Amino acid sequence: MSNLSIQNLHIHFSGVVALDEVSFDIKEGEIFSLIGPNGSGKSTLFNCINGFCSPQRGSIKYNNVDLLARRPHEIVKHGISRTFQNLQNVPFMTLLDNILLGAHHRLTMRDTFTRWISRKERGREEALALEVMDFLGIANFEKKYLSGQPYGIQKLVEIARALICKPKLILMDEPAAGMNDQETLEIGKIISEIRDILNITVLVVEHDMNLVMNISDRICVLDSGRILAMGEPEEVKNHPKVIKVFLGDEVHA
Amino acid sequence: MKRYVSIIIMAALAWIRCENRVTSPGVTDTEILIGNIQDLSGPIKELGFLIPSGTNMYLDYINAQGGVHGRQIKMLIEDHGYNPQKAVVAAKKLIEKDQVFALYNVIGTSTTEAIRPILEESGVPLVAPATMSGTMSDLSRKAGHLIFHTDAGYDVQSNVLVDYILEQNANAKIGVVYQDDDYGANVLKGIAEAEERHGITIQREAYQRGATDFVGQTGNLMKGGITDVIIGGIVREPVTIMKTSQAMKYSPHFFGHAPTVDARVGLLAGDAGEGFTSCYFAYLPDSDKSGPALYRELCEKNNVPEKMRGIYHYYGFATAHILVEGLRRAEEYPTREGLINGLETLNNWESGTYPPITFNKNDHAGVEKIMLLQIQGGKQVAITGWLE
Amino acid sequence: MKGRYDDENLKWIPVLILAIFLFPFILKGATSSYKYYLYVLNIAGIYMILTIGLDLLSGFTGLMSLGHAAFLAIGAYSSAILVDQVGIPFELSIFISPVIAGLFGLVIGFPALRIEGMYLGLTTMGFGFIVKRLIIALREWTGGSAGMPVSKATIFGFTINNDWDNYFMIYSFVIISVIIARRIVISKLGRAFMAIRDSEQAAQASGINLAKYKMLSFFISGLFAGFAGVLFAHTSHFISTDHFDILLSIYFIVMVLIGGAGSIYGAVLGTLFIVLMENLFIPLFKDGLAKYIHLEAGDFQAFIFGFIMLLFIIFQPLGLYGMWLKIRIYWKLFPFNPRRRST
Ligand SMILES: Nc1ncnc2c1ncn2[C@@H]1O[C@H](COP(=O)(O)OP(=O)(O)OP(=O)(O)O)[C@@H](O)[C@H]1O
Ligand SMILES: [Mg+2]
Repeated sequence: MSNLSIQNLHIHFSGVVALDEVSFDIKEGEIFSLIGPNGSGKSTLFNCINGFCSPQRGSIKYNNVDLLARRPHEIVKHGISRTFQNLQNVPFMTLLDNILLGAHHRLTMRDTFTRWISRKERGREEALALEVMDFLGIANFEKKYLSGQPYGIQKLVEIARALICKPKLILMDEPAAGMNDQETLEIGKIISEIRDILNITVLVVEHDMNLVMNISDRICVLDSGRILAMGEPEEVKNHPKVIKVFLGDEVHA
Repeated sequence: MKRYVSIIIMAALAWIRCENRVTSPGVTDTEILIGNIQDLSGPIKELGFLIPSGTNMYLDYINAQGGVHGRQIKMLIEDHGYNPQKAVVAAKKLIEKDQVFALYNVIGTSTTEAIRPILEESGVPLVAPATMSGTMSDLSRKAGHLIFHTDAGYDVQSNVLVDYILEQNANAKIGVVYQDDDYGANVLKGIAEAEERHGITIQREAYQRGATDFVGQTGNLMKGGITDVIIGGIVREPVTIMKTSQAMKYSPHFFGHAPTVDARVGLLAGDAGEGFTSCYFAYLPDSDKSGPALYRELCEKNNVPEKMRGIYHYYGFATAHILVEGLRRAEEYPTREGLINGLETLNNWESGTYPPITFNKNDHAGVEKIMLLQIQGGKQVAITGWLE
Repeated sequence: MKGRYDDENLKWIPVLILAIFLFPFILKGATSSYKYYLYVLNIAGIYMILTIGLDLLSGFTGLMSLGHAAFLAIGAYSSAILVDQVGIPFELSIFISPVIAGLFGLVIGFPALRIEGMYLGLTTMGFGFIVKRLIIALREWTGGSAGMPVSKATIFGFTINNDWDNYFMIYSFVIISVIIARRIVISKLGRAFMAIRDSEQAAQASGINLAKYKMLSFFISGLFAGFAGVLFAHTSHFISTDHFDILLSIYFIVMVLIGGAGSIYGAVLGTLFIVLMENLFIPLFKDGLAKYIHLEAGDFQAFIFGFIMLLFIIFQPLGLYGMWLKIRIYWKLFPFNPRRRST
């Protein structure tokens, strides 16, 4: 059964075509990677799923729910959470609160009121966050303010925030960008564990080819908003068009 | 032994007498402290500078003669920036921190209204609040018995103006242009009283505070066939209305309440302002009465610059006479009660600066008479005596 | 289990509260003009309640308001009319009047969904002017621009008579306000506000309905300001539109900024600082300084405040509270402070 299904997606911004006739399905329990040169529309695709952009044509369905009809804040209720390419978090809030931000829709107003009065509810909330922090290996940081923490930690906090709401599908926009080799390896491990241990489907955008080839079940290559190739890592790696685009990219850089 | 006892008794007696003598805050053997709250930073800050300097000129003159009952009068000035809340802060400071004996000359209507609760609570009298609102002398209001109003209220002015107009021309059709706020409300109160007394109706035209365009109002007055227009404005309003009328070839007689007595009206309106009649409740600084004469003499002696002289500077000078007279009539060791009682003994008292002033238990409106002044050949000329 | 949240030292709180309530007695022993100082502190207390609310809106949610004097006015006039003309008891009015101000907050919250920053500032400023005109127009109830007298507060038969009583009433409410605001800040609500301030995208991706929470922020801020207005009306016994002008709104912003936007204690400290500066310290230095700088009284104050603002923005952007935190960390680490090296 297909899980996330994107059909004939087209979006352009005042003349700039960001996505053109993009269609693919993501199956449950899959790690699906999206790669492509800069400006090829990867983040825009995320923004469409997330409701930040409204495409001119096409459809995005998740378990037969039409996501395009939803407002951005409703997406997470359908079990889809995401991280951002550029850090999007609250510097002058503790790590714990930054992570709990992701649990927003899981906490009712009643929880909030009980929390104001009793400490028990606070403990429950904290336990929620600590579980995720343990999973990502950033426990013991919870009382620290996010501002001034290393970039790697801040990236992990974003992932934690996306995980705490117990999603079915997580969208990760360049989780390893700006990380050193050691950290990149760890991110790879974390992504695999998210799928294996937490049973969350992963849609990931990444520039690091090693990482992508190691963890992905399937890969989709975008170029200037069009799908260039799609398939298993081996298949994509040897695809002539892909080689051309990526070599060109390297020469460019 | 006997000697010691008698010394101690003497000392105790002296101490008790001392205790009996100085009873009021703000009064020492050599000084009486008076508090004044002016607008030093708000919309009328020129007045906040001019009025107290006029007062100080008179107080210096009195102090140089030995003060009142041997005490020098010292005036502290606070700023309220025409903000009632700041007026409250200033009053609290003067009364509770600086411990003044009395307040004097607080400027503005809403600012004075705001400090009523403090006056009531502390029992501090307020002499000559610098506002012409008739509500000041309303004894039924909070702290009414502590406030001694020396200006003729706008309501009184309205009444007198209407009387005068009808006296000149029994068939006059009168219109009034009023500011849509407390000033206007007090103007209209007098207008309504006059309507009732004479059995006439007066056309009312409102404007917003700060308005610069009076075409609509002037047009309405013209349509109504109004022959005599009373303008409850300050400076800009009469000037603009008269100029607008001139342009519209509409020429009724124009009258104004006391704030329009400002010399700038004549200057700015030019020939459109010829014949404009305003009213005032004190002698003008250039009249030949004793008060104005002293005023001019002191101005010369103190080298007061020409541009400072005028009704506002003179206003501070004139009201100070009433304060000083009140202090004189308070007992030798003045209490606030004494000041109140002293002021209430004023009965048609001639200050030389004001028409005769009367205060008593049932009447805290000191002046209910006004004089009309007309612009003739660009100069203000008194055209009547005191009207009631 | 000790809450991991409470990074602050809670054991000082009862001592602080005790100190607040003992202070008038010390003041009374120390000076005969204690009533004046109490009055100044009372103003500070009332403004604190408002700036706490303003901080929730501007400091935490990042929405600018130049119209908070208008919310203060709405609270004040509502309560004055409800208590003195409708005859509702004061105890009830302290609940109803803030809600009225809060509802006005919702109204002004609508444009906030579409506009931001300086434009929102201008819109809220316009709102301030409209409210002022409205109050003048409703002359029959509000007394127009002449203002209106307001009765004294009575709580359960006990009349709050003078500045002494006012102090205890106002500061009890300040403490309650601080507690409520702190609770808001550490909960889901506070996180949502801060997320909206720092990243609308992250907020939305986390399921926060921007429209709802921005409106809520305006509502809550209006509640606090309206509540301050109720206290203002019934402790100064006279209200008039002249007081609630744009300058006052700007003062509130300055208080929040100097205290440190985005911190409840900061708002409290900043308010205390500005009110004491304005009423006690500037008058002290004014005469001395006036010899060297030729400025008029009003300009002088604006000059000093502008100068202080500038110093804070350049040297201490986190405000007074940030300064305090730094000092606290310094003493915690003492004597092992990392030495500052001059390079
Ligand atoms: N909101 C927007 N308004 C206008 N143009 C946009 C907008 N968002 C994206 N674009 C344009 O769409 C194209 C695709 O951008 P996108 O951010 O999706 O690329 P990307 O594949 O994520 O690149 P990168 O690897 O640099 O992150 C770019 O040309 C970009 O300028
Ligand atoms: Mg991108």
